[in-house]
Amino acid sequence: MKVSVTGIPVKDQDKALEFYTSKLGFVKKLDVPLGGGNRWLTVVAKEEQDGTEVLLEPSPNNFEPAKIYQQALFDAGIPYTQFSVDDLQQEYERLLNLGVAFSLTPTAMGTVKLAVFNDTCGNNIQLVQML
Amino acid sequence: MNFYQKEMNRIKRSCYSNKEQIGIVIGIRIFIEDNFANDLNLSLLSRLNYTSKFHLLRLFKRYYGLTPKQYLINKRIAASKHHLATGMAVTETCYTVGFESPCSFSTLFKNKTGLTPAEFKKKSNFCKVNVKLVQEL
Repeated sequence: MKVSVTGIPVKDQDKALEFYTSKLGFVKKLDVPLGGGNRWLTVVAKEEQDGTEVLLEPSPNNFEPAKIYQQALFDAGIPYTQFSVDDLQQEYERLLNLGVAFSLTPTAMGTVKLAVFNDTCGNNIQLVQML
Repeated sequence: MNFYQKEMNRIKRSCYSNKEQIGIVIGIRIFIEDNFANDLNLSLLSRLNYTSKFHLLRLFKRYYGLTPKQYLINKRIAASKHHLATGMAVTETCYTVGFESPCSFSTLFKNKTGLTPAEFKKKSNFCKVNVKLVQEL
């Protein structure tokens, strides 16, 4: 058994695809229409295109508990998931220049450094660098 | 301050207050990163910070969740994947990343990735050809 896909709930798939590709730098991998305006839409890391796919799933628009859960996490500032980077300060500055809003600026936490940003699709996302 | 930030502060106070210990393990991890291709062992790593082997082992595992040896193996496997994907021969890759025997390297590699180094290399080249073909379409 392998971990091939992990999901992130998004309120608007078009907007999410734009944010995750043009700002975060991911690459679109699959885009399959599922009817009702929904798509099986996945992105992957540019450097690891055969790695785990991130599914940008429209669950908040189709399943009320998903919408409530996403909103509760967001309000509490809890990241839905995290991505790793080699140089957090550099990535923070790059994203800041692109207009990305951070609720937590780069902060050391033991043997890692963390930052949290708003993905504009209803989620907090954490960046992590191992120290 | 939101709930998450409060939790972070709580965890920082309860788990990460010993800056000296954190400094030691970070130093060890960086040393492994910079020297993974060399002959590294716990005795050498412990001498770097004048700590005992067992203390270092405990500290590293506590803060990184795995032992220095496990970290070193993961680092070498990651580096070997990069070398194999860029065309280096299996035996040369084995010695370049610091393993001593091609046989144990193959066993370990398969254990970690599900493929032997030769299979991984073949698959990487196949993927590259496919990407090129797709780009040409």
